[in-house]
Amino acid sequence: MTTASRSLVLTLTVAFSLFLTSCDSPKTIYDLSDTSYMLRDTDSTRVNFPADFSDNISIITFIYTNCPDVCPVITANMSNIQKQLEDTSGINFIEISFDPQRDTPSVLKKYKNLYNLNDQFTMLTGRSSAIRELLDKVKIVAEKVYPDSAAQDSSNYTMRHSNYIFLMDGENRIRAKYPASVVPPENVIEDIQTLRD
Amino acid sequence: MDTINRSILPVLLLIASVVLWGCQSQSNSKEEGNKKVILGKLELYDGWARPGAKGQNSAGYLIISNGTASVDTLLSVNSDVAETCEIHESYQNDDGTVSMRPAGRQVIADGNDLTLTPGGKHIMLMKLKRELAVGDSVMISLTFSNVGQKSLKLPVKVQN
Repeated sequence: MTTASRSLVLTLTVAFSLFLTSCDSPKTIYDLSDTSYMLRDTDSTRVNFPADFSDNISIITFIYTNCPDVCPVITANMSNIQKQLEDTSGINFIEISFDPQRDTPSVLKKYKNLYNLNDQFTMLTGRSSAIRELLDKVKIVAEKVYPDSAAQDSSNYTMRHSNYIFLMDGENRIRAKYPASVVPPENVIEDIQTLRD
Repeated sequence: MDTINRSILPVLLLIASVVLWGCQSQSNSKEEGNKKVILGKLELYDGWARPGAKGQNSAGYLIISNGTASVDTLLSVNSDVAETCEIHESYQNDDGTVSMRPAGRQVIADGNDLTLTPGGKHIMLMKLKRELAVGDSVMISLTFSNVGQKSLKLPVKVQN
C-alpha cells in the first residue's frame, strides 16, 4: 500500500469513527441556551432557568403536587435514577410545577420534604405566564380538568398532562426525553454517561 | 399386640394427624407470593398510602382478593384522614398525556382480585385533614355489597 493510500485509509477510519460517535450521542430536541425563565425555588429564591444550571447535566421533569398517583411515580423514578447513578456529581435533578396556581414555593417545599428528596433536587414554580412560556417551549401539555360539579374558577381540579423526563446537557440543550413514569432508570443513566463522555 | 407395635402406633397416629392437618390447610387457603388467598373469604392485603400535605390529596393502594363463591362489589371507601375517598384511575390518552378519572363501583368476580396500584386504579384520599408522613398510617374502611364493611391499616411510605 502506498503512503497516499495509507493516509486515505487512516482518514476514512477516523471520519467513520467520528460519524459513529455522533450517532451514539443524543441529538438536540429543544435548545434552551438562548432562553431565560424567572422561576422560584422552595425558598422563594429567584432562579434563572436554565442558565443557573449551566455546565452541569440536568434531569428535568414536570409535575403538580395535588396529583396523588402518576406524579409521585415520576418523582420515585427521578429518585431511582439518582440512587442508581454511581456518581451523581455534576447532575441536577429538577422538578418544575405546571400548576403554579396551587404549587407555591412553600407547597413545593412540603412535597420535597414528604418525599425525602435531598438537596440535589430543585423544585421550581413561578408566575403562570413564565411557566406557560416554558411549557410551550418544550411542548409540555398541562390542562386543568374540572369535575362536573365544580365551577371553572374553582381550585378543585386535576390535570391532563405530559409524562416526560428530559435530559439537558451543560449547554442547556435538551438532548433526550423519556416516558417519565415508566422509563427504566438505567436507560437514562446510559445517556448521562454518553453525555459525560 | 406386641411391645413394638404398641410403640409404633402413637408415631403412626402422629404422622397421620400431621398429613391430615396439612391437607385441610391446603383446601382452605393457598399461598401466592406475599398474598394469602383465603378461600371463602374476601381479604385485603399489601396496602399502603402515599405521603401528602394537609389539604392536598394522597392515594391508597391494596389488593382485594375475593375468595368467596359470589361476585362482590366495592361500593365505597371511607377514611377519617380525608374529606372524601373515591376510587379513581389514571390512564393514558391517545396523545400520550395522562389523566385521572373517577372509576366508580368496582365489581370483583368470585375467585378474582382487584389490584389498586400506582399508575392504575387507586383510592383517592381527597383533601387530607392532616399531614401524612412516612411512618404514619391510615385506617380505611371499604364497604362491599356482599361481605359488608372491611377495614385495613395502610402504612404511609414513599414508593421505591
